[in-house]
Amino acid sequence: MTELAQNLIDGLGRGSIYALLALGVAVVFGVMHLLNFAHGELITVGGYVALWTLGAGWSWYIVTPLIVLSAVLTSLAIERVAFSRVRGSSDFTLLLTSFGVHFVISAIFLLYVSASVKPFDRPSWVTNTYSIGPLNIEVYDTVVIAVTVLTLIGTTLLLQRTMFGLSLRAAAADFDTARLMGVRSDTVIRGAFALSGLLAGIAGVFWLMRAGSISPGAGITPMLKGVLAALIGGLGSLRGAVIGGLVLGLAEVLLRSRLPDSIASLTEGVVFLLIALLFIFRPQGLVTVKHAVRV
Amino acid sequence: MFPRPGRDVGFPIAGCALLFAVFLAGGLIYESFQGRAAERLVTVMLIDAIIVLGIQIYVGNTGVLSFGHIGFGAIAGYAFAVFAISPEKKLKRIPDAPFGLNDVLLNPALAVAVAIGVTVVVALVVGIGLARSGAESGAVAATVITLALLFVTHEVARNWPDLTGGNRAGLTFKVGAALDSRLPIYLCLLGALILARLFAQSRSGKLAVAAREDNLAARAMGVNPLVQQTAALLISVAVVSVGSSLRVYENGSILPDDFFFNYTLLTLAMLIVGGRNSVTGALVGVAVMTVGRELARRLGQDGFEVFGLGLDAAPLDWIFRENLQTVFLGLAMLGFMIFRSDGLLGDWELDGWLWRLWHRRKPEERPEPLAEVAPVGLHAEAEREGAALEVHDLAVDFGGFRALDGAGLTVAPDEVVGLIGPNGAGKTTLVNVITGIVEPSTGWFKLGERELTGAPSHDIARAGLLRTFQNLRLFGALTVRQNVELAARVAAQHRPGSHPPVDALIAEAGLWDVRHRRARELDYGSARRLELARAAAMAPAYLLLDEPTSGMSDAESAEMIGRIRHMAAAVDAGVLVIDHDLNFITGISDRIYVLDQGQVISAGTPDEVQADPAVRAAYLGAESDAEGRA
Repeated sequence: MTELAQNLIDGLGRGSIYALLALGVAVVFGVMHLLNFAHGELITVGGYVALWTLGAGWSWYIVTPLIVLSAVLTSLAIERVAFSRVRGSSDFTLLLTSFGVHFVISAIFLLYVSASVKPFDRPSWVTNTYSIGPLNIEVYDTVVIAVTVLTLIGTTLLLQRTMFGLSLRAAAADFDTARLMGVRSDTVIRGAFALSGLLAGIAGVFWLMRAGSISPGAGITPMLKGVLAALIGGLGSLRGAVIGGLVLGLAEVLLRSRLPDSIASLTEGVVFLLIALLFIFRPQGLVTVKHAVRV
Repeated sequence: MFPRPGRDVGFPIAGCALLFAVFLAGGLIYESFQGRAAERLVTVMLIDAIIVLGIQIYVGNTGVLSFGHIGFGAIAGYAFAVFAISPEKKLKRIPDAPFGLNDVLLNPALAVAVAIGVTVVVALVVGIGLARSGAESGAVAATVITLALLFVTHEVARNWPDLTGGNRAGLTFKVGAALDSRLPIYLCLLGALILARLFAQSRSGKLAVAAREDNLAARAMGVNPLVQQTAALLISVAVVSVGSSLRVYENGSILPDDFFFNYTLLTLAMLIVGGRNSVTGALVGVAVMTVGRELARRLGQDGFEVFGLGLDAAPLDWIFRENLQTVFLGLAMLGFMIFRSDGLLGDWELDGWLWRLWHRRKPEERPEPLAEVAPVGLHAEAEREGAALEVHDLAVDFGGFRALDGAGLTVAPDEVVGLIGPNGAGKTTLVNVITGIVEPSTGWFKLGERELTGAPSHDIARAGLLRTFQNLRLFGALTVRQNVELAARVAAQHRPGSHPPVDALIAEAGLWDVRHRRARELDYGSARRLELARAAAMAPAYLLLDEPTSGMSDAESAEMIGRIRHMAAAVDAGVLVIDHDLNFITGISDRIYVLDQGQVISAGTPDEVQADPAVRAAYLGAESDAEGRA
């Protein structure tokens, strides 16, 4: 029982980060029908910003907003340079464009920094824990969950209460109709990328705090988690993305603690397998969004 | 009729031989200038070409983006290594190998066969998953499944050291390259080329391409895309397995990272740059990217020294750095996606070009008129006996909206029946139900004695109900003639009796002069007529035409009446035609049903229906459509 409770807390901490990543993926998918394989690169860029600023002796309190800012700017830049040019292209083109962006960004760091993994200082409190009864809770997980909840509340308010949020949700529901109704596609798409960058930036801060290092290929894992979580939730749905992130985080933690030792090292593989099975039996994801097929 | 020996077999094989010769000659000439240093580069290029051709078979023909093929390559590579490495070597690297694999040793050719077998079995399972996830061109879930496969194989390779030697040691043959002669590589490359081209020209390949161009239209035409996609996947994976085994053998070792993200990027970039829809393109892409990458690598290393020009490269030092080739790769992929997403060659094939060159000398004769070559009575008599189309009491709910509310109708084999009603009356929904796209909540429909309610679209089409679409669904990248030929291929397999000749149908639809034009380049009227001809090529029992004149002028619309009646009579099909244009429907129909709010409110001859007060109230009263179209 205690172990389960412990797993749940660990899983929620991990899942919160995935949820933020997935939400960013889902927001962009909503307005552009683009599954953004370059999403993880926002964290890579943030990672190098952290590497350089921390290396210069700056404190995490200053570095944190810089990471978020760099993610937002990178997201907007990617949209401007690459994605704005393929708007309305076939799904195949969109998928490979984002894949290409992913590789160009990591290759640039490979070219100008180095292929090796560069460590930087983690904040001292990341590994601290405190106890409630029999439970050992990481300060880190607590902060992650709290910030995620706040971020989600903020995002919900943004989506529900502002004109931008309304346009974005309308565009996600039916982009063509939304445009006919006067939603400005440029504004909505750029806004979506900014929001996606913001969410990735917040997730990135936590990701980097835990990792304590950066390398050109570091974006692959967060990208994969975000994309998978968004798909688990059912791509069109923003709520689904958050649920998908939490489910993925919980599944990973539970499997790692429950699988027999001999295959525990294959946890990731097992998770992928389960996800593949989910797609096979429920290709539309956990949260179904019905789209009318026009014939 | 298919496959045609010259066009579909002879020319592709000859073309592939020519391609192979040119490709190889390029490599050998480069080698002869650069000496032994270039030997390995050329060998690697040849092996990359086999793997890229393998990927092309799936990605090109189905349009599904796969990141997983290098994962399949990893499976094949490890299977090959485990079976081909000597027991003594295995004892050193993987002493605890499972399944008693330690004592097994096969000669390399047999080991490749085992690798193919193992990988194809995995591919079959993955293929079922892809099919269930709704794989179609650009499908996101399918792509992510393939990505998951790549990561699963990588994880397993890293974390199952008993089998794979783990992350650092890996499996090795002997020091240096294990392959003594290039002959096996030559043979495999030539084989891969021919296989890829023959598959593309085969029935399976053509149908997969149809589904790539428009999944829904392909299904409504009797194609079951999942069968073709799975066939493409298995063949493609077999070729990738051969290439991967060669790659492992040539490297003399295998590590998890050999078959992961970077190699996926490289092979996909090669495919994309050359043109994923073309076998020739795939090969050109391999050549271009190999040259470009080598150039970038050497520029990164030595700057302009490469050219021996003695130029001062200092100002460009910020570009000419190590790992330049990786940036080049990423930029090439991105650049092509943004500026030329079909690659250098699009769907151009060498043998297709040679074929056209060859035949330019003798112009094609205009075909005989359709009525003369395909007289009434095309179908086997037995099938025609009383094969009425009966639709009974259909109801369909979309959420809270009842689109059909107990609608029913019958069409006799030689009849042209019109279905008319205002927008939103449920006309298209009714056609969607009887073509298997929408499932009814109640009611049934049958063709003759055969109940088809709930059958999948492609079975309904094979049974003889062929439709056109309100908003045109042609196979845009294919030519007019290829569109009709595709239907003829399906018909040859699934429709009994004799079939209308393709060229006669094209001429009948007034498309003879544009038969080599791509469907997406056609004007609206021609595109509509092509859809009609394509449906007719299936030798249907019934043609279901959804607003066949929408977007046409009155004159074109009037002309279409004659064309539809004539073509239906020629292929001996009954017709159910939907429209909201009263002039058109009364002009074409023997009998008319009037649909309003999901119910049939009137039925009879055109005169009877026009006189019916209920119709006037519900329909004519509401719209002054009797005047003509809006």
